[in-house]
Amino acid sequence: MTRELTIGTGAGLETSDMVLNIGPQHPSTHGVLRLKLVLDGERVVSCEPIVGYMHRGAEKLFEARDYRQIIVLANRHDWLSAFNNELGVVLAVERLMGLEVPERAVWLRTALAELNRVLNHLMFLGSYPLEIGAITPMFYAFRERETLQAVMEEASGGRMHYMFNRVGGLKEEVPAGWTKRARLAIDEVRRRMPDLDNIIRRNEIFMARTRGVGVLTPAEAAAFGASGPVARASGLDFDLRRDEPYLAYGELDVPVVTRTTGDCHARFECMLDQVYVSLDLAQACLDRVDQISGPVNVRLPKVVKAPEGHTYAWTENPLGINGYYLVSRGDRTPWRMKLRTASYANVQALTTLLPGTLVPDLIAILGSMFFVVGDIDK
Amino acid sequence: MNGVPGGGLAKGLAVTLKTMTKRAHTHQYPDVEPDLPPRSRGVIALLEENCTVCMLCARECPDWCIYIDSHKEEVVVPGAARPRQRNMLDRFAIDFSLCMYCGICIEACPFDALYWSPEFEYSEYDIRDLLHEKERLGEWMPTVPAPPAHDPNGEPAKEETSAAKKAAPPTPPAPSI
Repeated sequence: MTRELTIGTGAGLETSDMVLNIGPQHPSTHGVLRLKLVLDGERVVSCEPIVGYMHRGAEKLFEARDYRQIIVLANRHDWLSAFNNELGVVLAVERLMGLEVPERAVWLRTALAELNRVLNHLMFLGSYPLEIGAITPMFYAFRERETLQAVMEEASGGRMHYMFNRVGGLKEEVPAGWTKRARLAIDEVRRRMPDLDNIIRRNEIFMARTRGVGVLTPAEAAAFGASGPVARASGLDFDLRRDEPYLAYGELDVPVVTRTTGDCHARFECMLDQVYVSLDLAQACLDRVDQISGPVNVRLPKVVKAPEGHTYAWTENPLGINGYYLVSRGDRTPWRMKLRTASYANVQALTTLLPGTLVPDLIAILGSMFFVVGDIDK
Repeated sequence: MNGVPGGGLAKGLAVTLKTMTKRAHTHQYPDVEPDLPPRSRGVIALLEENCTVCMLCARECPDWCIYIDSHKEEVVVPGAARPRQRNMLDRFAIDFSLCMYCGICIEACPFDALYWSPEFEYSEYDIRDLLHEKERLGEWMPTVPAPPAHDPNGEPAKEETSAAKKAAPPTPPAPSI
């Protein structure tokens, strides 16, 4: 840690800047993000996010894993949106192989991806108020998460790392009666969501902490490549599900939740409203799944090899755009698989977002960027 | 700010009051067993008799946490001209401190020797104690639940189709003209 100390001889009121490290071990950083701040009293002069403390070399590991093993690794970089992460990988491989995924699998995938989005958002809807002092929303958010996790677990066997996607479809058919139970769970969550909504959205203390704090302009959001709820809260109306539909989103009417203020409260509201949208989408998908019969995967050769070529598959992950650039030389492993993660781009925006803000607002802003450190460091 | 001052707080407190009148949502875990679905990935159980030491699971494992040792034995089969060679399993161990619970080994096993069990109470004080040998893995076999039936709209399980094929009476050979 360097300490900059300016000692004035004449000017008595001159202050010295202090360099302060937040993290890498700080509870508000959700893990090991380190921020190097230069402070002038209570005010942040500059901020430099230092990433890489949780670098696990996922991209390099992809090069030594076959396409089924990659799914295991891919669902771990952003551990809150495992299903969506898997999805990008299999979409890329399927595109290179020219595989046609059965319709039933497409709709099931869409339903599960939306359920995973709800799970991810609920986590942040619980943890964000907690970070700025409201502990209760956590309990409500986790009650809903539990309900949905039970549904995901029944189908895939996992509660976080589902490992349910395979090249060409899904691992296996869902259990009998699962769609009905999933629908019941969605209804239950939708019925109880007003609890979470009422307890925090219009809470005066919460609003005082978040309104007008950490305003990200649409231009800055675009410049840093921010995406997802963080960018949409700034008025950047961009959602891949509507703008470049993959899976079954083309046949669905995807309402995109946006705000214009770009402050912490707008980011929180974007996420909260997105939960309702995703619940509706998941419900619509499940209705379609019940009308479609047929297999959920295709028969693959013993050794799955993507033909020579390259492709870029991007998906609208809960936290923003997640992309995989897959380069194959026709082997059973990719020659290179580049990973573009949402959190990495979103966190960079802190460089312009934090200067000028006060240290007490720092946690409120940091939490509202909704990042997962694994997703930053890969 | 809109509405009455303090309205947001009051709304929140109303939720708290409403919740107070309801039963708690939590389960008292050690006293109440969690109700886990049959597909739940708790632990990997080994059915030793089915293992032919083909090593597919160990090779397919993304972090190579399965250890297999074997030796060859000669088995004299009555009626056969020469004694046959058979692989005998000496050691089958899974290091659960490395295992990522992906289930690829179970998928890869061509002889149904590995199964998922929802059993999860096997934590240890020392990370080295999480390396479980075939005896321990076999102990989990009785906890393996029957797989759930597939959704009638989807395809039935592979096992079901092959069992139905076996059970069906053999089709009579086409009459020769």
